[in-house]
Amino acid sequence: MMKTTTSKLAVLGIALVVVLVILPLIFSGKLYYMGVLTTAMALSIAAAGVWLTFYIGRINIGQGAFALIGGYACAILIMKAEMSFWIAMPLAGVFSAIIGVLIGYPILRLRGVYFAMITLSLTETARLSAQSLSSLTGGAKGIINIPLPGALEIFGFTLIPDFSTIDSHLAFYYLAAVLLIATYAAMYRLVNSRIGWLFRSLQQNEDLASSIGVNIAMLRVIAFAISSFLAGIGGAFFVAVQQSVYPNTFQVQDSVYFMLYCFLGGLGYVFGPIVGTFVLFLSFEGLQGLNEYQPLVYSVLMIALMLWLPNGLLSLGEGRRDKAARSAASAKDANVADSDAKAKG
Amino acid sequence: MSILEVRQLTKRFGGLAAVNEVSFNVEAGEILSIIGPNGAGKSTLFKLISSFLRATSGEVIYEGENIVSKAPHIVARKGVVRTFQETTIFKEMTALDNVVIAHHLRSRASLAGFYWASRTAKEDEAQFRESAEEILNYLGIGHVGNEIARNLPHGYLRALGMAIGLAAQPKLLLFDEPFAGMNHEETQQAVKQVYGIRDRGLTVLLVEHDMPAVMKISDRIVVLNFGQKIAEGTPTEIQDNEQVIEAYLGREDEEIGL
Amino acid sequence: MTEQVIVNGIYSGVQYALIALGLTLIFALMNVLNFAHGQMYVLGAFVTYYVYGVLGLPFWLALVATALTLGIVGVLFEKFLFRPVLRRSSREESSMLLAAGTALLLESLILIVFGEKHRGVPSVVSGVIKIGDAYLPMGRLLVIVLSAILIGGFILFMQYTKPGRALRALAQDREAAQLQGVDVGTYSMIGFAMGAMLAGMAGAMLVAISGVNSGLGTWISIKAFIMVMIGGAGVVSGAIVGGLILGMIESIGYQMLPGGETYLFIFIGLIIFLAIRPHGLMGKPWG
Repeated sequence: MMKTTTSKLAVLGIALVVVLVILPLIFSGKLYYMGVLTTAMALSIAAAGVWLTFYIGRINIGQGAFALIGGYACAILIMKAEMSFWIAMPLAGVFSAIIGVLIGYPILRLRGVYFAMITLSLTETARLSAQSLSSLTGGAKGIINIPLPGALEIFGFTLIPDFSTIDSHLAFYYLAAVLLIATYAAMYRLVNSRIGWLFRSLQQNEDLASSIGVNIAMLRVIAFAISSFLAGIGGAFFVAVQQSVYPNTFQVQDSVYFMLYCFLGGLGYVFGPIVGTFVLFLSFEGLQGLNEYQPLVYSVLMIALMLWLPNGLLSLGEGRRDKAARSAASAKDANVADSDAKAKG
Repeated sequence: MSILEVRQLTKRFGGLAAVNEVSFNVEAGEILSIIGPNGAGKSTLFKLISSFLRATSGEVIYEGENIVSKAPHIVARKGVVRTFQETTIFKEMTALDNVVIAHHLRSRASLAGFYWASRTAKEDEAQFRESAEEILNYLGIGHVGNEIARNLPHGYLRALGMAIGLAAQPKLLLFDEPFAGMNHEETQQAVKQVYGIRDRGLTVLLVEHDMPAVMKISDRIVVLNFGQKIAEGTPTEIQDNEQVIEAYLGREDEEIGL
Repeated sequence: MTEQVIVNGIYSGVQYALIALGLTLIFALMNVLNFAHGQMYVLGAFVTYYVYGVLGLPFWLALVATALTLGIVGVLFEKFLFRPVLRRSSREESSMLLAAGTALLLESLILIVFGEKHRGVPSVVSGVIKIGDAYLPMGRLLVIVLSAILIGGFILFMQYTKPGRALRALAQDREAAQLQGVDVGTYSMIGFAMGAMLAGMAGAMLVAISGVNSGLGTWISIKAFIMVMIGGAGVVSGAIVGGLILGMIESIGYQMLPGGETYLFIFIGLIIFLAIRPHGLMGKPWG
């Protein structure tokens, strides 16, 4: 027990050092690589939300919609309300969460493919809305020239410097890293708390859960709101990096990818979506040299992964542990049989 | 004293009345069974009382309060808890965890308390675990507490279902066909468990097919046919009731006719 | 004006019904939401484009080639991808995600083989007929007639032939069908192939009217999902009704809202509709 805790802490420590020190040292100044890593981290944040909806037994293909909502909310707050990015981003998350609650309440009653199909439609609805509400969103032309995040000061003390005065790529990288760590720390806590048990009870049997007094409607909405919040934060961050947002910034394909990232990482593991997002997003980028064959190789890779590891990449470690446990158990059985034989003899 | 009063309860699906103006009382501390031929409306009535279906009209008065068509978790909170047939469990959790989580209603901590693992939440958790073990032992399945539920054999699953119901600490426990698909021996065992539950001070209402078991276990019986109550009384009264005999025989003829 | 709207609605609706029928068939048989349905449609359109438009062979031959190609794709997908995954995986999500993967696969294959240009073919028939105040080009009439024949043929096949009955038994209850001696594996394969063929045929007919490009697939899939949500998943009548309703609403919308708002309103209406009727007009609960 002690040992696993220590080894977990060690893994966590190494991961933090890699993310916060080593990677930036290696890639600092290499804009493309910094950009890819930063994007992968932002996508991982939104993917965490999709994973949470999977966790309560719903297939969410609407994350693109909420990322788009968050992105536009952030852009509009900065451009029209002249708000600081540091206020606009959390507000964008909250706004996405509120929309998530309003839409989630009626549609979360749907299950299985019905929920999947309606969330898929949501992504398209968000895109079309962004196109139609042109007085607010600029229509198809989008919102462009969004300024970089300014300085964050509290009581005259500068917590974060103005991004335009420093290496903004590095600054965005660190911002994404901090958000990513905060997101997954919170998710880890959530899933390992009693709320996690309640969520699992929803995933396994909603009727039974409600029969023992669990307010399933409320818990579903809470999970969906958290999911939408994370999408909103991810979207807002993405828009800040791009300094622009268009109706096509997040589309159906992105929603489908979020879902695939979670699945391939492993739906049973909190860190599944990070692993899935990084492995897939980085391999997609890595395959760019293949030009027109890139999507083909990528999709074959994805299908092969699904066939090979139906429980996700992280189930690899599990398998090893299972095998170890099994061989230990069979060794014990053998011992018992031995001693039985001896007793009889 | 009546713990539950069902008044003129009706459920229509389209034009068809699956349950039609059914009224009866459940007295505190008794075992009351609802029986009837296939398609008589038993399970619809069961779902109406446990609020898993919304009623078209009528009332379900529990301890003086109308609980009809309220959300199932609200009804459970008030003390009316249903069980399911054996496949309805939290399949991927251990048997013990199934029962621990079924203590949910007794939690004193808030969701935030759960999240931060407040002291109350930790105390609750420890207490639930203890109580869950007690319940599993009581039902004679304590030794499989750490098995993943989906791997358990049938008899254990049914007992686990009962354990989940008990853990929610109901005053009135509703059983959905507790003896379905059992052989004679298993039924004997289950009947004993139901008696045991009553002896813990609970009132029991069950919907059942198995005639001999019902006759043996029930204090009183309500008989449904075509959505209507056709008889109510002690097992001996029901056995001699002509309408009941007719309902069952008539249905048998039909089945032969097919 | 009204008559034109109705004629347009029927024209789209019949094709849509054909698309939805394939989707619902696959869903009913295997509990798989076929994300690649739109890509199958696009593949069908491209095969017809190639056989009829490029090789210059007769249109009917192109239709046959399309049906064969999609049938083979369906068989391969079922046998080598869906069957192993459905057998092994404990979570219902896996088949859906696999379907999303196959959609990407088909789309990238189509892109490599046929390129990204929008392709059209010469009309199969020419001329226009007038119904009341509405004009209906002969090409569109042909689509309506062919679609109706395919839908009718499909229904007759399901009702009156032995394989049709086996497929229905399979859709109703997989285990029971197996106990009755239905060869579940073979019929799942046949069903999947038929679903793919129906999508491909719809695409084949459309290429003669409005052409096709490789990026169309996702949007077609979304439309198919809308129809299935309206009608109810896994129900043949639901697919047909859903298709006709979407065709009609779309036609009315395009008439009244010249901008791009038609689908915005359709989606909003759909969410409200599903909140009231979660399983569509004719669906089974939690199908």
